[in-house]
Amino acid sequence: MAALRSTSRLVASSKPLFRPAVFARTYATVDPVAQVSTPANAANTKVIPESKTSNVQEPKPSENPKFKTFQIYRWNPDKPEEKPKMQSYQLDLNKTGPMVLDALIRIKNELDPTLTFRRSCREGICGSCAMNIDGVNTLACLCRISTEHAKELRIYPLPHTYVVKDLVPDLTHFYKQYKSIKPYLQRDTKSADGLENRQSPEDRQKLDGLYECILCACCSTSCPSYWWNSEEYLGPAILLQSYRWLIDSRDERTAERKQALDNSMSVYRCHTILNCSRTCPKGLNPGRAIAEIKKMLASH
Amino acid sequence: MISQKVAQQSLRRLAVQQPYAVRWSLMNSMTPAAVATGRTTMQMRQVTSKASDPTKLLAQQRLHRPVSPHLTIYRPQVTWILSALHRNTGLILSGPLYLFSIAYLAAPALGWHLESASLAAAFATLPLVAKILLKATVALPFTFHTLNGVRHLVWDLGRGITNKQVIKSGWAVVGLSVVSALYLAFI
Amino acid sequence: MASLARPFTLRQTCLSISRSSLPRTTAPGISQIVAFHASTKKNILPPLPQTIQGTVNDAAPVPKPHPSEGSYHWTFERLISAGLVPLTIAPFAGGSLNPVLDAVLCSLLIVHSHIGFQASITDYFPLRRVPKTRKFLTWVLRGATLGTAVGLYEFETNDIGLTGAIKRVWEA
Repeated sequence: MAALRSTSRLVASSKPLFRPAVFARTYATVDPVAQVSTPANAANTKVIPESKTSNVQEPKPSENPKFKTFQIYRWNPDKPEEKPKMQSYQLDLNKTGPMVLDALIRIKNELDPTLTFRRSCREGICGSCAMNIDGVNTLACLCRISTEHAKELRIYPLPHTYVVKDLVPDLTHFYKQYKSIKPYLQRDTKSADGLENRQSPEDRQKLDGLYECILCACCSTSCPSYWWNSEEYLGPAILLQSYRWLIDSRDERTAERKQALDNSMSVYRCHTILNCSRTCPKGLNPGRAIAEIKKMLASH
Repeated sequence: MISQKVAQQSLRRLAVQQPYAVRWSLMNSMTPAAVATGRTTMQMRQVTSKASDPTKLLAQQRLHRPVSPHLTIYRPQVTWILSALHRNTGLILSGPLYLFSIAYLAAPALGWHLESASLAAAFATLPLVAKILLKATVALPFTFHTLNGVRHLVWDLGRGITNKQVIKSGWAVVGLSVVSALYLAFI
Repeated sequence: MASLARPFTLRQTCLSISRSSLPRTTAPGISQIVAFHASTKKNILPPLPQTIQGTVNDAAPVPKPHPSEGSYHWTFERLISAGLVPLTIAPFAGGSLNPVLDAVLCSLLIVHSHIGFQASITDYFPLRRVPKTRKFLTWVLRGATLGTAVGLYEFETNDIGLTGAIKRVWEA
């Protein structure tokens, strides 16, 4: 078996070598020529409800099964003309781990291999599995499946994001915004000993509650202001990071950093809605960080 | 098993260093029939020259992406519901103020009577229930917007901005504004 | 957030219009009905199809500093709001305000309302997406604020003042 697999891999790896010039590998499986003329799927945020789709059931439930229905947002980029839909999956909780991520992995392994989502560390430190579970943004690996099994669990991708596939949002712009705040130490002078940039314990303490952010984008995509103006408004996650560099005692470009934020869009689209602090899976407080930024900017 | 891995690795290394050599050696080891019938290229698809630039293809795919649902699926929470109410009550209060002032400016030309005395007289002719209802519909947005506004000002000082405090003060504002609006409606 | 209500109400009114009057028109009108229905299905202010400026490795552009729309504006807005708090409580304590304080209240209210409307326009009509609507609404708002200011000035000088008028109507 193992031998067979390795030989097939050998053949597979040899394939590109035989490729004539007219054949090129596409980045994804969409045939680009077929759907060139019909963009503007974006306007369509409506989802086909679960009542109009099928229900995939557990193949071999346990003796006293505790069934719970998971309704999951599905959209396939291979068929962009089809609307997004809600798909129901029924799982036996006796055979499923405690977290939502366990359920998703089971669905992918045993019910439907086409289900797509990001995951990596399964312990809330990578931020890959951020999604909207039961109406609240959180990490699937830190979110317990509610044991009320009569109630269904609804899973959407992060709200108001462009969907790459199923539960995978495109966070390109989010990362570009992160880059725009220059998230690194900027210094012109050398430290006293020329070795390290030292910091007093008090100054270090100011970074607590800020440096823990894993950039999962849960807070930014829970913010209605970010929904309407994500192109220009930086959003809570990026502003929390911005504040982290603004108050770092070792950073010497505080004035420039403040100037970059001093316009109508970057910070001031924040109307202290505070969905961000409410939803943060790491228990951080982006709302307070933004309030502090506003105070800093007000006292020039 | 191990020998196969070693062979594969050396082949890969060879491919990196001398791609032509590997191609040649593999060509020889493959049956000519398989190459001729194109079995080896079965999994590949033809792409027109127009879309062969992968960055363009990605841009093309982005245009088709749907936006995930937001307002309709997010769980109603005191945080954003009260924020929505704050803005809406603000619009409800300021809109009529604007309309009234502009109407007052235009009143002489249009022959309307919007002086406080005539307004009060018109209001006095309404039945008691209508009076109370009208007063309540004006008073509730006013009390809510005022109290919640104070809450916002406190946040802007960087205080009372933890989750617990926000939830508590939110419900306190809801309770206080309803009570004070009812009081105002009945005086 | 005010856009919460708008799509629903607009759609409802549009639907009710189309139900009541349009379906009974003759053949030439059919295309119009179809067009009308199609327009009701459109979302208000839908997001644009996704585009990314530059490569994935470029930072998002940083806007030019503009303190009068940024930090000064914010501070000014907070001062106005904070100033409104005692002025709204005072009439409840003293019955109504004296003409000077009443005039101050009115002017603060106008500025506060203007900033509030402006924030709503900035939030829901992004310059990037609907530049013409944004410009139009901004000018409408400026005109309306000016009209309101003149109207309230007239009301203050010719009548008994805002707080006095509200008191009179409330006690009627």
